[in-house]
Amino acid sequence: MQSQPPRRPGELIFTLAMVGGSLFLLWSAYGIAGFEALSSPGAVPLVTTAVMAVCGLLILRDTLRKPAQTSETVARDILPMPVVVTIAMVGAYALLLKPLGFLPTSFLFLTVLIRFLAGYSLPRAALISLATVALIYLLFRVVFTVLMPPGIVPEGEILAWIKALFAGKGN
Amino acid sequence: MDILNSLLVPILDLKLLALIAIGTFAGIYVGAIPGLSVTMAVSILISFTFSWEVYPALALMIGIYMGGVYGGSRTAILLNIPGAPAAIATALDGYPMAQQGKAGEAIGIVTVVSFIGGFIGIIALAVFAPLLSDFAIRFQPRDYFLLGVLGILLVGSLSGESLVKGIFAGALGVGLGSVGMDPLTYTERFTFGTDGLRAGVSFVAVMIGMFGISEGLMQLHTVNTPSVKQKISRIVPSWAQVRKHLPLGLQTSSIGTIIGALPGTGGDIAALIAYDHATRVTRNPEVPFGKGAIEGLVAPETANNAAVGGAFIPMLTLGIPGDAVTAIMIGALFIHGLNPGPMLMIEQPDMFWFIVSALTLANVFMLIFGLTGIKAFVKIVEMPRAVLLPVILLLSIVGAYAVGNSLTDVYWMLGFGVFGYFMKLYGYPLGPVILGVILSRLLDDNWRRAIISDQENLWMLLKGTLASPLSLVLFASVVLIFLAKTPLWGLVFRKKAA
Repeated sequence: MQSQPPRRPGELIFTLAMVGGSLFLLWSAYGIAGFEALSSPGAVPLVTTAVMAVCGLLILRDTLRKPAQTSETVARDILPMPVVVTIAMVGAYALLLKPLGFLPTSFLFLTVLIRFLAGYSLPRAALISLATVALIYLLFRVVFTVLMPPGIVPEGEILAWIKALFAGKGN
Repeated sequence: MDILNSLLVPILDLKLLALIAIGTFAGIYVGAIPGLSVTMAVSILISFTFSWEVYPALALMIGIYMGGVYGGSRTAILLNIPGAPAAIATALDGYPMAQQGKAGEAIGIVTVVSFIGGFIGIIALAVFAPLLSDFAIRFQPRDYFLLGVLGILLVGSLSGESLVKGIFAGALGVGLGSVGMDPLTYTERFTFGTDGLRAGVSFVAVMIGMFGISEGLMQLHTVNTPSVKQKISRIVPSWAQVRKHLPLGLQTSSIGTIIGALPGTGGDIAALIAYDHATRVTRNPEVPFGKGAIEGLVAPETANNAAVGGAFIPMLTLGIPGDAVTAIMIGALFIHGLNPGPMLMIEQPDMFWFIVSALTLANVFMLIFGLTGIKAFVKIVEMPRAVLLPVILLLSIVGAYAVGNSLTDVYWMLGFGVFGYFMKLYGYPLGPVILGVILSRLLDDNWRRAIISDQENLWMLLKGTLASPLSLVLFASVVLIFLAKTPLWGLVFRKKAA
């Protein structure tokens, strides 16, 4: 007989959230056109969310049958500190991108994360971040012409300087 | 003559040639560095190349795809960490070879057989795609609908620990793809009255979140794993060695092409099936399988590279992705205003032959780059993940923002990234989600066309399905795959075997 893998910490909560979310979406799908017609705009969403709900319930049944994992903890195996800090940093990046601009936000993001994850000294992390941000900026802003929020940085002047540099007029 | 002209486009245009070379070179590194996946790289790349012309964007992505599938073998051999899922089987014999001091020999033979496999997959694409395309014109809407269901079911059943979780993930993807205004009736679907959802959820944000952010977060669990250093010996294999393994390589290339061409399956499954085939047909390997058998490298590596050409067959002829990367490429073609399917082959055959040519060039570049610069390569792969991961995350954020210059997309990306991370932790496959998003429109449109043409009568639709040989085969495949994963199947067949 095949042995069941144990239930990981938080797995039951996640599964319950999936079932709850599926049932909510099923109700929303019913609200699109009800059972109006098989070709209605709500037909495929209704079937899709019904499939999700049925699968969610089957997964919940299997999850409940699993023995609980005793050797794992949420803090160590599911949401360890590096993951929590990284998610918070990505959120903070999105918040600061518009007001601060791409260059300072990216520099701060990389410096903090490299210092935290790799344990490098602040000057070393800052130096690596500076070089990386400069490379990404040159590649994506100048070569791929991707527009990024300038924020507090006078980006127009920087771009003009780079262009002048490549045109042989930089001083 | 037109075909020849189209084939020559990437060869004569130096910019395109350079982009294919750069893509292949970058792909080898992307595929090799654990934590970077080809799917992740191609999804991030779409956001940066969406404003380009379609040929340069495709040239770069094709190079990354071809190089990346091969690159995964590098770390499988050197570190016993497959750089990509397609290289899982390669580690079984590659790493024992490296432990015996034959890392260079293993990399050399893998490079040459990957080239052979890749080439066979491309030939199959060039020969069979036009034939299938002619045939596909006769497909009814119900056939497309069944093909879409088959693709999601296949990838769901093969890529995760349970079929139910695979189906859940696929259905979630189809649901996500239907968010926004219905294109036929302009009815709002899953918008919850918010303006921001009327245009739908950004496909690129979902993709980068699911494949970039979630993978990056998963890698944080092992961020401080120290890198293992390997010494490199002889690299270029002898002709006698290549010739000896050619028959097996040709067999496993065919397996790879066929598996790659099945909707929803890709190089990882092809490689595992090919490895299994090699263990059965190789009577007396010089070294046992699992201990460093060359056959254990030849089989998966020919198969996974052959699967690249194979995966393009359903993508270009039917608009149905062969694997997650081709799913993303279909997304890229949509962004460039193209609609992959039989009509693309008829209306824009130059696009098809351009792809064939670009794949061939990428395969040649893979051979050249694969056999050179290995010692420098080993140093780069040893780069600490604690530095690499923040850079990948930054690229993901920039990529999500760049598509629509919208911070909302960054929040979507983060949301899907965290959601994808939990899905991975609890054993849900992510491939079916992205396949579902891509196939959502195809499923919805063709279901509605099919049922309208049968006067909204489910019984008539079923009768039509059973009366058409193609529909019947597709329908039977869907039912069989589903039944094969249920306890009922095991019960019946175990009883018979007993």
